[in-house]
Amino acid sequence: MDWHVIQANLPLLLRGLGTSLQLAAVAVLLSFPLGCLLAIGRLSRRAWLSLTCGGFVNLMRSNPLVLVLFWFYFLVPIITGRAVSDLGSIVIAFVIFFSVYFAEIVRSGIQSVGSRQVQAGLSTGLTYPQTMRHIVMPQAIRAMLPALTTQCIVVFQGTTVAYIVGYDELLHTASMAAERTGRPVELYVAVAVMYFLVCTAGSLLARNLERKS
Amino acid sequence: MTAPIIQIQDLGLAFDGFTALDGVSLDVMAGQCIVVCGPSGSGKSTLLRCVNGLERFQRGDVVVDGTSVRDCRDLPRLRRGIGMVFQHFELYPHMTVLENVTLAPIKAKGLSKAEAERVALHYLDQVGIADQAGKHPGRLSGGQQQRAAIARALALEPKVMLFDEPTSALDPEMISEVLRVMLDLARSGMTMLVVTHEMGFAREVADRIVFMDRGSIVETAGTAQFFSASQTERAREFLHKVLAKI
Repeated sequence: MDWHVIQANLPLLLRGLGTSLQLAAVAVLLSFPLGCLLAIGRLSRRAWLSLTCGGFVNLMRSNPLVLVLFWFYFLVPIITGRAVSDLGSIVIAFVIFFSVYFAEIVRSGIQSVGSRQVQAGLSTGLTYPQTMRHIVMPQAIRAMLPALTTQCIVVFQGTTVAYIVGYDELLHTASMAAERTGRPVELYVAVAVMYFLVCTAGSLLARNLERKS
Repeated sequence: MTAPIIQIQDLGLAFDGFTALDGVSLDVMAGQCIVVCGPSGSGKSTLLRCVNGLERFQRGDVVVDGTSVRDCRDLPRLRRGIGMVFQHFELYPHMTVLENVTLAPIKAKGLSKAEAERVALHYLDQVGIADQAGKHPGRLSGGQQQRAAIARALALEPKVMLFDEPTSALDPEMISEVLRVMLDLARSGMTMLVVTHEMGFAREVADRIVFMDRGSIVETAGTAQFFSASQTERAREFLHKVLAKI
């Protein structure tokens, strides 16, 4: 075992970690709002909207992330005849894939608040959007907080899928270094520790938020 | 003679093959307190929820202060004039009592925060819980919560108040504090449509009592007459059970 190889490659690994975190942040920031829209659409009384959103959620949930990424990386350029940048196809695939998981979390959060609170809001002359915004969503988000943070951690771990198309996230960076130095064990241990630390920090943060709310 | 402030005309509503309301008609004059009673599942709550358009009916109409609920294009505006109090209070647990009461005056009516708080404190004082304004509903007793919910409805200064079994979820010792508030409200001239099993309250303040069963009004009578000489067997049977309470 040669642990110096970690020290020597640490700046590289940290840059990879930074890329992974950024990718996860962008994916969460874009897929959560999309997930909220999908959830509200799915709960709509308009059948066409509810069915469309529900169908999309089920379709995406029954496909693995790698396949969704393949679609945007390899197939969309063929179909449209236009190249999509590496980062572009990764972000699109992640946002579409993870939005449906956020949608399911948001849907159950909204449903946990219950229709009687909605009726109370409506009975005082608030409009439906006002009722959602001031009465339902604040309570729903509180109820969803644990599931949301878990999902953020899953997104962060999911960024490793970008490895497949050779994007320089943490895992890909480590595998390149491992090949170059011939020290896979040390480098993969270092990567495992990094994932462990970030995810544990995330869980602790979540538990803290939960206790406060 | 002035027109009734609430006119319920041949109201019909069915869902999933179950007839919830079957041709209900009822007029309420301004300032009247009408008590609606009857066994559970008789359509009392549904009737109330049709008055402010929370429930969509298929037949007939409700006209509130000249506005047809069926044709109403602006239900939020209509509902501002109709206060509603629910069995389970339905206060918003993430807000303080004061925020519960000021939300709709600010967002729906467009009052300034300061003005809304002034109005809210006036009504919280009227129901006797102004000192609880800064607390969250979860810290209040059931009776206090229901009084806060009444203040929330009153803060919009409605012309009509609907009460949907306001004391059914309360412990016995808290029922009277809520009934006292309702009694004062009725005596101050508020128009009230009250679904309740509290026959003591009905006897004290109701101008008329409506007895419903299986989606229809079976009997409607002046209060004294209802208690002394109900015309229908079903109403007599119901009264006997409610008054005996065993």
